[in-house]
Order: sequence, then C-alpha cells, then structure tokens
Amino acid sequence: MTARAFVEFIGVEKAFAGKPVLRGMDLAIGKGEILYIIGTSGVGKSVTIKHLVGFLPIDRGEIWFDGQRVDQLDERGFYPVRRRVGMVFQNATLFDAMTLTENVALPLRKHQGLGWKAALADARRRLAQVYLADFADRYPAELSDGMRKRAAIARTLTLAPEVVLFDEPTTGLDPVNARRIDRLIRELSRTLGVTAVVVSHDLPSIMSVADRVAFLYQGRVHALATPAALAASADPIVQQFIAGRSSGPMETPGF
Amino acid sequence: MIGERTLTLLGARAIAVTREVGGIALMTGQVLRALLPPRLDGRELVRNLHRMGNRSLPIVALTAFFAGGLMVVQSAPFVKRLGATSLAGWAAGYAVLREIGPILIGLMFSGRVGANNTAELGTMTVTEQLDGLRALAIDPIRYLIVPRVLAMLIMLTALTIIGDLVALVGAAVVAYLVLDIDWRTMYFSFADNLTPHDFFHGVYKSVAFGAAIALTSCYFGVTVKGGAVGVGRAVNAAVVAAAVSIMLLDFFITYATA
Ligand SMILES: Nc1ncnc2c1ncn2[C@@H]1O[C@H](COP(=O)(O)OP(=O)(O)OP(=O)(O)O)[C@@H](O)[C@H]1O
Ligand SMILES: [Mg+2]
Repeated sequence: MTARAFVEFIGVEKAFAGKPVLRGMDLAIGKGEILYIIGTSGVGKSVTIKHLVGFLPIDRGEIWFDGQRVDQLDERGFYPVRRRVGMVFQNATLFDAMTLTENVALPLRKHQGLGWKAALADARRRLAQVYLADFADRYPAELSDGMRKRAAIARTLTLAPEVVLFDEPTTGLDPVNARRIDRLIRELSRTLGVTAVVVSHDLPSIMSVADRVAFLYQGRVHALATPAALAASADPIVQQFIAGRSSGPMETPGF
Repeated sequence: MIGERTLTLLGARAIAVTREVGGIALMTGQVLRALLPPRLDGRELVRNLHRMGNRSLPIVALTAFFAGGLMVVQSAPFVKRLGATSLAGWAAGYAVLREIGPILIGLMFSGRVGANNTAELGTMTVTEQLDGLRALAIDPIRYLIVPRVLAMLIMLTALTIIGDLVALVGAAVVAYLVLDIDWRTMYFSFADNLTPHDFFHGVYKSVAFGAAIALTSCYFGVTVKGGAVGVGRAVNAAVVAAAVSIMLLDFFITYATA
C-alpha cells in the first residue's frame, strides 16, 4: 500500500441534483500543516471539508484520514473521526438555549468525562483564552458574530482535535479580531501540532498564516503552492483571483 | 377525467403520508437502539421533565376540572328525572377515566408541549445546531431526542393521572353546586362503581398517546426543510399528525380491550 498523507482526497466527485461541484479533486494535507482552501463562492470549499467529517457523502473517489479510509463510514462510524477532526462552521452553530459557558461545557462533559461543575469551570477558563470571560454567561443571541465565532472555536477545541477545519473563521470580523483568530490558528499548529484546514477569502490572513494554499477551480485543485508562490504565479486564472479582477479568463457560473 | 386529477392528488398524498409514517418508524427504531444500552443523559431528561411538566400542569388541571364538571352537567337531566343520584358519579367518572381524560389531556399536551418541541427542534435544525452537535461527536438522537421522548411519555402519563383526580373533584363540585348532591354520595358513587380497570385503561392510553406525540413532534422537528417557513409548516403537520394518531390509537386500544 502506498503511504498516504495525513489527510488525503483522491479523485473526489460530488454533484448536487445532477450539477457537478467536485469533479475529481485530489488534495493531500500533511500532519501539522496549515492549509488554506480558496476559490470563488459556490466552488465547493465548504462541501470539501464537510466530506471529511461525513456531513455529506461523496459520489466517487476516496478520502483518507490517518491511514483509514473514511468516505465509506456510516454516521456511527464517523463519530470517532469527528472527535479527532473538529469543525468550526461558517455560522457558529452554537446552541442558542445555552449560555456560552454551557455550550463549551457540553462536549467537555460528554467526552472528557468531567462532571457538570468541573466542565463549567474548565469552559470558563477556555472562554477567557478567546477573550470572552466577560460574556461567559450570555446567550449566543446576545453576542456579535465575532464573539460567537470565537466561542465556537473554543467549543471545538475542547475535543483536543488533531485536525481543525475552519470554514471562513475571519469573514465578517474586524481586522483586530481577524488577526487574533489568525494568531490562534498559528499557535494551535506550532505549539500543539494541530493540522488546520482553513477555508478563507481573507488575503492578509492567507498570506501571513498559510503554509500552503489550495486554489479550487471548476471542481479541482487548480493550483497548490505557498502563499508567496501563488501570489507570484503566472497562471492567468490565479492572477485574476488574487488581484480580484471582475473580468478575465475565469469562468464563474451564475454570472 | 374527474377521476384522473383527483387520483393523482390522492396518490401523491398517500405516498407522502407513507413516507412520513416510514420516517417516524425509522426514528422509533433509532430511539430504541439508542436506549440499549441505556446510556441516558440524566441532566437533559430532568431538564425536559421539569419544563414540560411545569408548562402543562395549570392548563391540564383547568381543562380536567371543567371536563369532569361538564360530564355531570350533561347527565344532570337524566339523574334528576330518574332520581338516580348514586349514578351521577359513575357516569362522569367512567367517561373521564376511560376517554375524556386521556384524549383531552393528550390533545392539550400535544398543542402545548409537542408543538413547542417541534418548533424548537425545527429551529435547531435549520440553524445547523444539530450539525453542530454531530460535529462535536454528540449523537443528536441520544442527546436530544431520547430524553425528550422519555420526558413526554412520563409527563403525559403523570398529567393524565393528576387530571383524572382533578376531573373527579370537578365532577363532585359541580354535582354539589348544580344538582345538590352531597360529597358523600358522590364519593360512594365513584368508589362503588369505578374499578381500577377503568383507571388503568386510561393510563395505558396516555402512555400510547405520549409515545405518539413525542415521536411525531420530534420527527417533524428534525426533518424541517426551508427555514422559518418550514418550521411553521412542521409544527402544523406535527400537531395534525399527533391528533390523528391519538384518535386512531384510542380506537384500536378501546377495540382491542373491549
Ligand atoms: N446540501 C446541499 N444541497 C444541495 N446543494 C448544495 C448543498 N451544499 C452545497 N451545495 C451546492 O454546492 C455548491 C458548492 O457549495 P459550497 O457551500 O461548498 O460553496 P463554497 O465554496 O463554500 O462557497 P462560499 O464561499 O460562498 O461559502 C453550491 O453550488 C451549493 O449550492
Ligand atoms: Mg462556504
């Protein structure tokens, strides 16, 4: 058997109602790496990371995680994978009937074997780490988007995941909070060896945080390079995307 | 010509109903499977018992009191004409324990707790909170559905028992005020004519109704599609489905035990 990357997509195809989104996507992600996935809206970035944790089934191809083929698992089979591969959604998906502390305490109680009191205490500590100590007893509806995102990240990190999938973690945030999230992702990778897969449109964040960038186009990884190499790429399609020009060789359905 | 369109519509409707019955059966299977081994989230169960019970007790008591009284008022002309005061309690008690109590309280519970449950689960579904749970490797069936189903089963049964008692009190009060029948006569009319069987007949029903309300309200909640509009539709469908199930179950249980 060939040696597989820590996370690997091989020839992954996915269509919705006959409309192809992924058309044979290959992507290998190394352990501890920070990989950014970029591409135009609707190209399939969110779909790609949802495949890895079994939120959407693929049509064809293979997905491997740490030497295990995961694309054929059923819902129950995915639970052990999800404890190792955390996901931070595009919208925070906090439980709105619970305070931030209770939100973060829930997985601690379920997975780390903590009692309710201990879980709450640990949750407060974790919220303080993402600058939310003063809002620990608020409900998600009472907070800003940026706060909710940080709380969702704190909640996901309770799993002590080996891989964290971030879906647009800095979209809609002010630059200060966006850079804080960037720093958090870098620290996770550098100090804990966490592999990060980040879907993003945020160029400053991509340039300063990414080890490598995968540029999705027409259902495949069109370019895969370091941020500097990508920025210097001569590929006209990559150029158009990076420069943000509305006209060029790029074909974007829907426009 | 008249038939074709109607038949097509009927067929489509039948398929939709079949699909939903199938979905509910599937969910029942998942709930049962999640119960073996019974690793139950005690916190969630207690929380649900508390809020479902609290929310319903006043309205159930009120309904039951007047339902009991109503039975006496209905039978008043006959009781008066025949002078059969000793049967006033029997008529009211029999109807309340076997039919009126479980059905009325079941429908009340469905409209209040079941509808609320569907709306809550539906909102969680459309805002991806259920996916949020799955992503945290927490099974929504185990964590969200099972405690709710158990809480509804337990609470509806408990409320029906309480409602039965309140209804008998209501009957006695109305008998005293309207028919001038004293407490003792009413008491012996209940005690001499009603059997434990009458009481348990109603309790069995309430367990079945509780299961029906719980499963339909959860099912329509977690299968919501299409945002806020979808949540509204789901609540509607859940309440109707629960009412129909209650009537069907009532008929079959009564028939089977007659
Ligand atoms: N559950 C689903 N059912 C049907 N179609 C879907 C579903 N999820 C995604 N799609 C479709 O797949 C395509 C890719 O969606 P995806 O969410 O991955 O886009 P994206 O690259 O993340 O875009 P954005 O940057 O806007 O978030 C879109 O055309 C979308 O309509
Ligand atoms: Mg997306």
